[in-house]
Amino acid sequence: MNKYILSKKTVVNDLATFYSFLIGLFIAFFIGSLILLIQDQNPANVFSLMLKLSVGSINSLSSSLNKAIPLILAGLGISIMNSVKLWNIGAEGQIFLGAIAVNLIYININISNSSLFIVILLASGFIGGAVCILFPAITKVIFGVNEIITTLLTNYIIIGLTIYLVNGPWKDPKSLNFPAAAYVGEEVYLPTIFGKLSSGFLVCILFVIGAYYLKEKSVFGYEMRIAGGSAMTAIYAGINAKQKAFYAMLIGGGFAGLAGAIELLSQTHRVSTGISQGFGYTAIIVAAITGMRPVGIFLVGCLFGALTIGGAVIQTIGVSSYIAEIIQASTLIGALIAQFFFTYEIKGVQDG
Amino acid sequence: MADVQLMGLLNATLQAATLLFIAALGELITEKSGILNLGVEGMISIGAVTGFMTAINTENLFLSIIVGVLSASIFSSIHAFVTVILKQDQTVSGLILTILGLALSSLLGKKYVGKKLMVKIESISDITEPSNVLEVLLNQNFIFYLAILLMITTSFVLKKTMFGRRLEAVGEDSRAADSMGLKINKTQFIATCVGGAFAGLSGVYLTLSYVPYWTDNMTSGRGWICLALVIFGGWKPYRTAIGAVLFGFLEALVPRLQTYGFDLSPYLVKIAPYLITILVLVILTIYKEGKTGAPGNIGRPFFRENR
Amino acid sequence: MNHKILEAKNISKSFGKIQALDDVNFHLYKGKIHGLLGENGAGKSSLMNILSGIYQPEKGSIIFDGDKQKKINPESAARLGIGMVHQEFRLIENFSIKDNLTLSKANIYIDDFEDAFKKYSEIFSLTVNQNTLISELSVGEKQKIEIIKLIFNNNNIMLLDEPTAVLTPQETNQLKNSLETLSNEDEKTIVFITHKLKEIKEFTETIFVMKNGQMVAEDLETASVSDKDLITLMMGEINTAVVEKNNEKGEVKLEVENISLETDAGGFNNLNDINLSIKAGEILGIAGVSGNGQVELANIVSGIQSNFDGKITIKGQDVTEKGVRARKKLNLSYIPENRLGVGLAPGVSILDNSVVREYFSASYGPHLSKNKMVNYLNLLVKEFSIKTGEPKAEISTLSGGNMQKLLMGRELISNPEVIVAAQPTRGLDVSAVETLHELIVDQRNKGSAIMLISEDLDELFKLSDRIIVLYEGKIIKEFEINEANTNNVGLAMAGVIE
Repeated sequence: MNKYILSKKTVVNDLATFYSFLIGLFIAFFIGSLILLIQDQNPANVFSLMLKLSVGSINSLSSSLNKAIPLILAGLGISIMNSVKLWNIGAEGQIFLGAIAVNLIYININISNSSLFIVILLASGFIGGAVCILFPAITKVIFGVNEIITTLLTNYIIIGLTIYLVNGPWKDPKSLNFPAAAYVGEEVYLPTIFGKLSSGFLVCILFVIGAYYLKEKSVFGYEMRIAGGSAMTAIYAGINAKQKAFYAMLIGGGFAGLAGAIELLSQTHRVSTGISQGFGYTAIIVAAITGMRPVGIFLVGCLFGALTIGGAVIQTIGVSSYIAEIIQASTLIGALIAQFFFTYEIKGVQDG
Repeated sequence: MADVQLMGLLNATLQAATLLFIAALGELITEKSGILNLGVEGMISIGAVTGFMTAINTENLFLSIIVGVLSASIFSSIHAFVTVILKQDQTVSGLILTILGLALSSLLGKKYVGKKLMVKIESISDITEPSNVLEVLLNQNFIFYLAILLMITTSFVLKKTMFGRRLEAVGEDSRAADSMGLKINKTQFIATCVGGAFAGLSGVYLTLSYVPYWTDNMTSGRGWICLALVIFGGWKPYRTAIGAVLFGFLEALVPRLQTYGFDLSPYLVKIAPYLITILVLVILTIYKEGKTGAPGNIGRPFFRENR
Repeated sequence: MNHKILEAKNISKSFGKIQALDDVNFHLYKGKIHGLLGENGAGKSSLMNILSGIYQPEKGSIIFDGDKQKKINPESAARLGIGMVHQEFRLIENFSIKDNLTLSKANIYIDDFEDAFKKYSEIFSLTVNQNTLISELSVGEKQKIEIIKLIFNNNNIMLLDEPTAVLTPQETNQLKNSLETLSNEDEKTIVFITHKLKEIKEFTETIFVMKNGQMVAEDLETASVSDKDLITLMMGEINTAVVEKNNEKGEVKLEVENISLETDAGGFNNLNDINLSIKAGEILGIAGVSGNGQVELANIVSGIQSNFDGKITIKGQDVTEKGVRARKKLNLSYIPENRLGVGLAPGVSILDNSVVREYFSASYGPHLSKNKMVNYLNLLVKEFSIKTGEPKAEISTLSGGNMQKLLMGRELISNPEVIVAAQPTRGLDVSAVETLHELIVDQRNKGSAIMLISEDLDELFKLSDRIIVLYEGKIIKEFEINEANTNNVGLAMAGVIE
C-alpha cells in the first residue's frame, strides 16, 4: 500500500468553490499574519483595526462598498465572457475607456436634465468599454486570434491613450502637479444614498441581477453555455457560436466600461491615471475565486472592497497597504490549491 | 555632435533592449514547455527588489545578482506548483504572480525607497560619451554580453540539441511527448523556474544598472512588453532579440523626441510596442492560418489519464 | 519456444462509475503476434494503456520476465521496452519524422539513424524523406511512423491499438507482411488489437478475447479456433435475428442529388457526385471504412456543412441553402457519430444537454423556462428509461449507454420524419445496443426515413432495407438487403466490385 495514483473526480461537490474560497481566505490571513509578524506588528491588532476602519462606521462601510463597485462590475463582465470560455484580461483598459467615453460625451454635448444626462453618460461608459474590446472581439471571432493576449495588450494601449489625453488635449491647466482632465460639473455627480455610498451601488446591484439572469435564466445564457461547452455542439444545435462569443465579449467589456463611468462620476470626477488602481486585475481574482458566479462576485467584491479600504487606512499606523493586495492574491492561490483537492482524488493502490 | 547624440540613442536602446530581452527569453523558454506565465512583471519586480536590497546591505554585486535571480526563480515556482502539479488555470495563476510580485516587492522595498546604491554594475570600459558603435558596445555592462550569450545558447539548445527538442516536444504535444517517456511535469516545472530566473536577472539589471535606485512599480509595465515580445518574435530567440531592440529603441526615443524636433507625443510613442505586437499577432494568425509559432499545448494543463 | 515475457495479473481499473477493467489476466510470449479481440468498449485499450504505463491500475500486478514490477509509468515502460501505438497518434505534428523517431531517451539508432530509417522504410514500404513534417503525411504513413518509432525506441513489446481502423485494405495487407517480418526477424512481441474477426485470424498466432472489462478467453491458438467460437466469446449470445423487413414504404422524404464536396483535408473525405433517396418507413444503411466521406455526408444532410455542390430535398422542399434550424423545423433529427463533443456538450449539465434540440420551445422571448426544461428531461428519462443523476450534474457523469439514450431520446421524441444516425451504437454494451436498435426500428415503423451510417456490418444487415457502400467519397455500390452479404459488401468497402 505504498503506491498512490491521481485521478479526476467525476462528481465534484456543489459547494467546492465555496469551501475552496474559505480555505483560501484562511490561508491568506495566515500568510498575512506571518508577514505582519515579521514586521513586528501584532496581526490581531492590525486585522481588527482593518475591520473597524473598513466596516466599523457608516462612512467606512460606504467607502468599502464604493470600492467594491468597479470590482463587481468588471468581475461580472469577466464572468459573462467566461460563459463562452473566453478570458477577459482587458477589464483594466475597458474601465479607462469607459471613463474616457464619459468625458468625451460630457465635453461635447450638454443636456439640461441632469438625471437624463447621467443616464446617457453611464450608457456611454458601457459603450466605451464595449468599444475597447471590439478589436479583440473581431479578431477572435473572425481569425481566432488569442483573446488573452489582445485584451491584455489593449490595456496598455488604452492606459497610454489616457496618459496622452491628460497630458495633452484634455490637460487641465489648473491641475499643476498631477496630470488630469478638467473636473466634470457637479450636476452629473452620482448622488449618494447614505454616508458616502454612491448610488452607483444600486446600479451595480441591478447589473448583478442582470448578469445572473443573463447567464442562468435566459436563452442567450443557455446558448453561451452550449457554445462554451463545445463549439461543435453549438453548430450542431444551430447556435451561432461566434456570434454569441462576439456579443459576450462586447457585453463583458461594457460591464467594465460602466465601472469606469461610475468611478468617474462618483469618485474621481475627472479623468486621470487614477481612474482605476488595478481594479481590472483584482476583478479577475474576484471572478475566478467565485467560479464565475454573479452573486458570489457581488459578495467577494464587497469583501475585497473592504480589504482595500482596510489596507489603505492601516498605513496610518505604519503598515504597508500592500498587505491587502497580498491577502487578496493569496486567497486565490489558496483557493486554487483547495480546488485541486475537490477536483482530483488521490487513491491508494492495492497490490496483488 | 549629431554622432554623439545618435550614439547616445543607440546606447540607451541597447540598455532598454537588454532589460526587455532577458525576461522575454525566459518567458520564451517557459512557454516552449507549454506553460504560459503572465507573471513576468511580478517576477522582474521580485528580482529587482531582492537584488537591490542585497546590494545595499552587502555591497556585494555578485551576491546581489545571485539573490535576485534565485528569489525570482523561487517566486516563479508558485506558478509552477499551481499549474504543473495542481493543474489549475495558467491565466489566473500568472496574473496572481504579477499582483503578488508587485505587492511583495513594494512591501519589501518600502524601507529602501530613496536609498543610494553604493555599488553598481559598471560597463566593461569607462567611456563617458561613446562616439562610435564600438564604443557603444564597450559601454555596455557584462549582463548585455551575457544576454547575447544566452540568446545564442538558447537558440542552439532549442534547435540543435536533444534536450531542446525534448523541451519543445513537451510544449507542442505533451501527450505524445509523454508516450515517448519524456517527463512532462519535471520539464514544465524546471522551464517555469528558469523563466523566473531570467526575469530575476532582468530585475537585477533594472535596479543595479539601468536605474540604480528603488521606487514602487518601477517595472512600469515592462513585464507585459516581454510577453508581447515573445509573440512578436514568433517564439524564436533571434526574432525576439530583434523585437527587443525595436521596442528598446522606442523606449529610448521617447525622452529624445523633442531634441530631434519631432512633434510627436512621447505618450503615443509609448503605445507603439503594444500596437505593433497586436498587429503582428493578428497578421501572423491570418497569414499563417493560425500558425503563429505558439507551442501547440500552451495554456493547457496536462493530466495523463485524461481521456 | 513459449517464454512468457510479460504478465498482467488481476488488473482492475475504473473511470468514475465505469468499471473499465475487472480482474483481468493477460500474458505475452516472446516473439509472437498476439491478438486481442473484443467489441468497442470491451476494455482492450484500457488494458494496453496500463501495460504501457499511461493509466495506473487500482489493483493488480505486472510481471516482466519473471520480475514483479513496482509501478509502470511511461518511463519505466520505455525502459522495459514496452511501447504502444494509440488510436489517436502520439506524434508531434510540427516536428520532422527524424525528430519524432529520436526524441525518446530509449532511442537506439542515434548514430546510424540513416541506415536504420532506410531499412525500416523498406520493410514498411515507406517512401518519404526523414525531414518531412508529420503534419504533411497521410494517415497510413503516420501509422507506419508510429510503429517504426516503437522499433527505434527499442520496444521489443509492441502494443498496436486498432492499427487497421484507419487503413485501406491494401495498407492492411502491407501491415500484415511488415508485422510478420518484425516478429520473425527481430523477435518482436506484438499485440494486435481489433474488433474485426477476419484480421485477427490473418494476423495473429494466439488470441485473447475481452468482453465488458473482463478477459473471457486466454491463449486460444489462432489456427484451431473457429470464427463462430470467437464471435460467441466476443459478443456473448449471437443475435442473428434480423428484424422483419416487410415494412411498408411511403413517399420519398429525403432526396440527395449530385452532392460533391471539396474539403481542405482532401483525399478520401471529399464527396463525389452522391445521389440517394430514402422513403418513409425505410432504413438506408451506409457502409464504408471510417473516413470515406460518411461524416461529411451526414453533416451535409443535417445542415452543418455548407459550401457543397448539389441539392438536398427534405419532404419535397429544397433545403440546399437552409441551415440547421430550418431542417429541424422540417422534422429532421441527426444523431452524430461523435456523441460527446458534437451531440452533447462536455462540461455542460445533463439538463442543458437534454434540450439542445428543443430549447427554443422552452423559451418565452429571451426567457428560458427551467420548469419546461426539467419537464422535458423527465419525459425523456421516463420514455427511454435513462439512468441519470441530478439534472444539473455534468453530462459525462452518465455512462456511455445512458448518454447515447439521452441523445437518441432527445432526437427521437418529437417523432422525426427524417433521421440521420451515425454509429448510433458504437462502444456500447449488448443490452444498450439492443434497446437502441428497437428505438430505430420503432421509428421506422412510425414512418421515418432513416439514414443509418455504421461500420458495424451486423448492425447494417440487421436493420437496413438497402445498403449503400461509400468508398473514397463515392457510392461504389448499392445492394438490396436480400442480395447483400458480408462478402460482397466487405469487398465493396475495400473498393472492389465484382
